[in-house]
Amino acid sequence: MSAAAGMAPRPVLLAARDLTRRFQGLIAVDNVSFELREGEILGLIGPNGAGKTTLVSLISGTFAPSAGELEFAGQRIETLRPYRRARLGIARTFQVMKPFPGLSALENVTVGALFGTARLSGRAAAREEARALLDFTGLGHRADQRAEDLGGPDRKRLELAKALAMRPRLLLLDEVMAGLNPVEVDEVVELILRIRARGITILVIEHVVRAIRRLSDRVMVLHHGEKIAEDDPATVLQDPRVIEAYLGKRRQ
Amino acid sequence: MKRLLTWAVVAACTVLLAAVPWLGDEVTLQFGINALLFAVLAQGWNIIGGYTGYASFGNSVFYGLGTYGVAIAMAQFNLPFGVGIVIGVMLAVVFAVALGLPILRLRGPYFAIASLGLSAAMGAVFSNLDIAGANIGLILPLARNDTMFYELSLALLAVATLSVAWIAASRFGRGLIAIREDEDAAGVMGVNTTLYKILALVISAFFTAIAGGIHAYWITFVDPAGAFDSTLNVRMIIMAVFGGPGTVFGPVIGAFLLSAVYEMLANSISTAAALVFGLVIVVAVLFMPKGLMDLGWGFRRMGLRYLLHNLRRSRL
Amino acid sequence: MLLVQIIANGVLLGGLYGLMALGLALVWGVLNIVNLAHGAFIMLGGYAVFWLFDLAGVDPFLGLVPAMLGMFVFGYLVQRYLLNLVVRSALLNTLLITFGLDVVLTYMAQLLFSADFRTINPSYAGSSLAILGITLPLARLAAFGMALFLAGLVWLLLNATQLGRMIRATAQNLVAARLYGVDPRHLYALTFGIGAALAGAAGGLYGMVAQVTPYVGASLTAKSFVIAIIGGLENPFGVVLGGVVIGIAESLAALTIGSTFTDMISFGLLVLVLVLRPARKLRAA
Repeated sequence: MSAAAGMAPRPVLLAARDLTRRFQGLIAVDNVSFELREGEILGLIGPNGAGKTTLVSLISGTFAPSAGELEFAGQRIETLRPYRRARLGIARTFQVMKPFPGLSALENVTVGALFGTARLSGRAAAREEARALLDFTGLGHRADQRAEDLGGPDRKRLELAKALAMRPRLLLLDEVMAGLNPVEVDEVVELILRIRARGITILVIEHVVRAIRRLSDRVMVLHHGEKIAEDDPATVLQDPRVIEAYLGKRRQ
Repeated sequence: MKRLLTWAVVAACTVLLAAVPWLGDEVTLQFGINALLFAVLAQGWNIIGGYTGYASFGNSVFYGLGTYGVAIAMAQFNLPFGVGIVIGVMLAVVFAVALGLPILRLRGPYFAIASLGLSAAMGAVFSNLDIAGANIGLILPLARNDTMFYELSLALLAVATLSVAWIAASRFGRGLIAIREDEDAAGVMGVNTTLYKILALVISAFFTAIAGGIHAYWITFVDPAGAFDSTLNVRMIIMAVFGGPGTVFGPVIGAFLLSAVYEMLANSISTAAALVFGLVIVVAVLFMPKGLMDLGWGFRRMGLRYLLHNLRRSRL
Repeated sequence: MLLVQIIANGVLLGGLYGLMALGLALVWGVLNIVNLAHGAFIMLGGYAVFWLFDLAGVDPFLGLVPAMLGMFVFGYLVQRYLLNLVVRSALLNTLLITFGLDVVLTYMAQLLFSADFRTINPSYAGSSLAILGITLPLARLAAFGMALFLAGLVWLLLNATQLGRMIRATAQNLVAARLYGVDPRHLYALTFGIGAALAGAAGGLYGMVAQVTPYVGASLTAKSFVIAIIGGLENPFGVVLGGVVIGIAESLAALTIGSTFTDMISFGLLVLVLVLRPARKLRAA
């Protein structure tokens, strides 16, 4: 379900050129280049350890690249610190979720409203925004519960709400469906599509195939840090190289 | 409505405290000055340790700089007290930025130990500076006016507490709390973590230095051991933590209570006073690790079981 | 030749320093417990050996054995029935509770032993060995040897015994260790006890080369921290090496810029190390 089909190509929001990241001899991301257009949903898949989260960390600024360039809305950002990129409109969720444990769900999301691109100046305005987003993600009834007391699926919704509170232009989702049953997966897919409908560009790391198929306009595959495929979902999922990457070399 | 009530009570208490010089005797007054100054130290630590989550074991550096700022200005250059305070504060702020930048990059116990190391090193530096009187120390002009010192300390505490209240309600404060809860997440959400941490340390240094300056003029004698006393660090931390770190009034209550406890013990069992004080600390950490303020909420929610609740959460 | 003598002094002193820090590093590295009462443990060990020597004429080196045993039991009990109760709460709480413990131990020592300076002076205290033109005081030489010996024992314990493996496994993954039938409370207490025993040994040796008072604890704790961080928390021999580095630095400093600066040297080194090696420290935190 590609919303971009039949329309004039949208402007490029994020461009990566030869992005590389090394950790003491290990190459986690190897010369990855790609473009992400406004309003797109790009799926990022690959076996464990392929470098997907590292790539997202390079985009959010948690790590600086060892080599390569990164452009956001025409501006070079690879040397910017995380908080600067957040203010430009890049938001991410963490695979190993990082809520603010001692704060309530509402307070968690309020931080995003206060410091994201919106930079809402009043605490009251930020709290209102936070409440609205908690409702949007289905956490309205848990607004005052402490983040560390929330269960798995609710924590994921919280991560999402926090990221949305920043009013980002680009949303980086890292395995938000892990551990969810099929019904929950469908709910989150609907949520993500509604987020895209609000005009936010999304990059989704996922292992759940159903979700990738339904969500992605295009899919990119990483293996050992390298990009090995990039195309529409159906094509990519049938690509023998991709299958081999997941299953290992077939025995002759 | 509740907030209005709280502030009304606080205002009433402040007026009462301000009247102490005319209500109490000389001993009470001196105890009061000490308790007030400790409360300021606890509040200062509260900003960097309680709200930002960086448990500094080196705030005695700022205290000592404030102390020596006043001492050198008044004893060596015959400048007025106010100028001495300004010098002390400027020294403290400069050091907060210069030392803060490298060591605020450290996390957890390493930050604590680095700050501890800095405070020990400072003491050694000043014991070798002639302008600071080296190991002999400096003697300041006498000002026989305990009432003035008392009211000054009270005013400082009021300003410090109001500042903490403002911080807690502000965007800056939310950022500090976010840093404390999860620094990486705070960063990617748009908080300029480096700037905020340094600011927190600077504000902390500001109040701590003024407290040191007032204390110096009050006791008229300054030497490196007293100015850069490293046990000050643990005492201010314990008061802040006992009262409730990351709250507006917790450190003040903790400082007043623990000062009173220590005073009572010193009067009744003297040599064993410190020993009992140590035991008090141990028991407090076991049963009320989040301080008195949290004990208040906890008691309301689950009564005495609160004490066991904490134990169960933190035991092996 | 003077330089070589100074360095030799530093090395011998450093061995003792390393032993002092060994217990702290073990407990910190393995259990993630930062013990602010460590110096008080050293002080207690010093008094134990002193009283055995003074009242019963027990040779200090022999006296180390009962002192270490006593400190082991003491450490075990402290961990088992006190520190185990706060292990899983914020680090600041362990710092505060061990500080409280330090206050209690220091003042109890003052009440029981008075504040008089005590030195352990066995008959051979004055004699020294002269090798290649440098003088090596016998007591210090023996202390250095003891330090190396104990460091070796710790290394063997951690790397070559079943117990050591269990300790390291428990430290890394509490849940998994429990699944294997390990009782972490007992294991934590054992490890802390060993740390206390090492502190006790250091105290006994310290008493032979310096004076013991109830108040030596604080500065010894601080110094042990510096050495533990510089030497690293992983390897016992690294800690001893860290001690030697500090020992040599102090000896050289005492010669060139006067002994009042020695504290500043060790802390200066500490801050430098912490600030210039961020990756290692951040990862550990």
